[in-house]
Amino acid sequence: MSDLEIDRLSKRYGKLQVLTDCNLMAEGGSVVTLLGPSGCGKTTLLRSIAGFVEPDAGRVMVGGRDISMLPPNRREVAYVFQNYALFPHLTVAQNVAYGLTVRRRPRAEIARRVDEALGLVALSDFGGRYPKQMSGGQQQRVAIARALVLEPKVLLLDEPFNALDAQLRLTMQVELRKLIDRIGITSIFVTHDQAEAMILSDKVAVMHGGQIEQLAPPLQIYDRPSTSFVADFIGRANIMPVQVRAGRTDTPQPVPTPRPDGPAVMIVRPENFEVVPGNVAGWPGRIGFATALGATIEYEVDCGMPEALRVSMARAPGSGPLAQGTDVTLRLRSTDGAIVLGRGAAHV
Amino acid sequence: MSDVTLDALPPRRFSWRRRILEGGGLWPAVPALVYLAVFLVAPIVTLLGFGFVTLDRGQVADGSFTLEHMTGVLTDPLVWRLTWRSFWVAVVATTLTLFLAYPVAYAFSHLQGIWRTLLLVAIISPLLTSALVRAYAWIVILGGRRGLLNQTLLSTGIIDQPLQILNTSMAVLIGMTQIHLPFMILPLLAVLAERDRRFEEASLNLGAGQVATFFKVVVPMSLPGIVAGFALVFAVSYTNFIIPQLLGGGNYSTLAVQVYEQTIVVLDWSRGAALATLLLGSCFLMILLITAVGAHLTRWSEVPK
Repeated sequence: MSDLEIDRLSKRYGKLQVLTDCNLMAEGGSVVTLLGPSGCGKTTLLRSIAGFVEPDAGRVMVGGRDISMLPPNRREVAYVFQNYALFPHLTVAQNVAYGLTVRRRPRAEIARRVDEALGLVALSDFGGRYPKQMSGGQQQRVAIARALVLEPKVLLLDEPFNALDAQLRLTMQVELRKLIDRIGITSIFVTHDQAEAMILSDKVAVMHGGQIEQLAPPLQIYDRPSTSFVADFIGRANIMPVQVRAGRTDTPQPVPTPRPDGPAVMIVRPENFEVVPGNVAGWPGRIGFATALGATIEYEVDCGMPEALRVSMARAPGSGPLAQGTDVTLRLRSTDGAIVLGRGAAHV
Repeated sequence: MSDVTLDALPPRRFSWRRRILEGGGLWPAVPALVYLAVFLVAPIVTLLGFGFVTLDRGQVADGSFTLEHMTGVLTDPLVWRLTWRSFWVAVVATTLTLFLAYPVAYAFSHLQGIWRTLLLVAIISPLLTSALVRAYAWIVILGGRRGLLNQTLLSTGIIDQPLQILNTSMAVLIGMTQIHLPFMILPLLAVLAERDRRFEEASLNLGAGQVATFFKVVVPMSLPGIVAGFALVFAVSYTNFIIPQLLGGGNYSTLAVQVYEQTIVVLDWSRGAALATLLLGSCFLMILLITAVGAHLTRWSEVPK
């Protein structure tokens, strides 16, 4: 199992800087997701690993070996395309055999390995079909078999679930994660879907404007986002400007922070707020909008800030939301759960 | 894994009147169909019909239906020799255009901006002059001791004796290949310029080099364009009579040249029409064969679910 390391990778198209000093480390056998909105550079980064994009600076290392100078056909990293790019003029078996055929492996070995690979994705009986005769989910499995049959060192997947409908997507995500764990191959996913990133990854790299803003395990990204962009992109977040004085925020419920005195931003997840009636220490406000979602009740509470604060509370059986216009107070469930960041990290 | 399928909608029934009014989308094509029927199908049927009647001073003699002209043509060994010559000239010229056109179309697909536009202009511009003019131009280039080619080769000392190219099958092939080149480039260009480059990236990623990728992915996936271009250029090469006549020097006859000579020079319209029937019929058969082979080679593009 080979580590994948990306070292200060940069790429510019004309005046457009698409990647700036990207660093990433994926330990052997782990799954890292590149997550970000469209245009953040995540696909360009994935394509540079495969060698389809020539970076202006930086290195890509696989298993300690620099592959930056190798042409794409000598890199031993497999790439699964967004629409799979199965060769339409070849059958499923010929598609899977393609990489072995161009390597001139003996015919018997090709047949055996193609059978194994198709068995791995449960498509043994479909070798004679053309890609057009397969459903989207089957095509994706063919693409994965075609990639894995070559026993690559790294598996790269560009939004592999995009073309699938919602139900199938969840099944395939879980199946793929199990398959990757069984084979133990270092894998890099690109996605803009945060739920997908949470399901699939050991580590998530949140990208924004050509830079990796944070690289950490999914729950750490959720609990301890390093910028307000990360906080807002992964889950929902209330972002409030605050002042820090003597190691605490100037909020109704002071939050301790090691930050120096001065302006800062505080990030509170909706589920870390609770709505309490009456006038206690907290943010006084008025219910602006309420939705009951079965397991939770979602409130928008107007607290006199430019944007209403969002609250998500567990719903007790039989209870309903408070009426619109009710005067309430918002309290932090846990002051540790609130995140205080410097103003510099507050770009959204 | 099951696919989500929609239940088929119950078939809608329309009255016959409604069906005619809707016409299955045929209505927009009616002006073109009428035009072709009047100005193409009718003249061709008339012309071919001449092969089955006796003509007397430009008039069809009453009740003179006869197969005599057809059997006369079909039993003439000369006619079969000319048919064979037409066939191989067309096949060789078409194959040559394919090999010359493919790199041009491929290069076009890799060019961008102004270079792409310039190449397209270069590809199309020969069509601005008539084939007749271009055939004469080849006479100037290939002809005799004072032709451009011989003059250049003689003056640079590459050869001592002038080459005899004009009035040979070589000249016919050269002319035909050049004059029909755009008809091969354009269909190839359509498939190559619009192709999805991810298939080539996938091939590289799977370990194939640039050359293997070209022959295993680019060429097979462009087969629909190759078949279209081959059928088109074969048809115009097989039936062309100007190029063999001018560049073949009068003594180089093909089936198409025979049709021209019987009709315009000998004024035997019935024999000319019978020859034209043979030319048209055999050309249709070849086009059918080419498209059938093409459909077999590209069966992956039309597979049922």
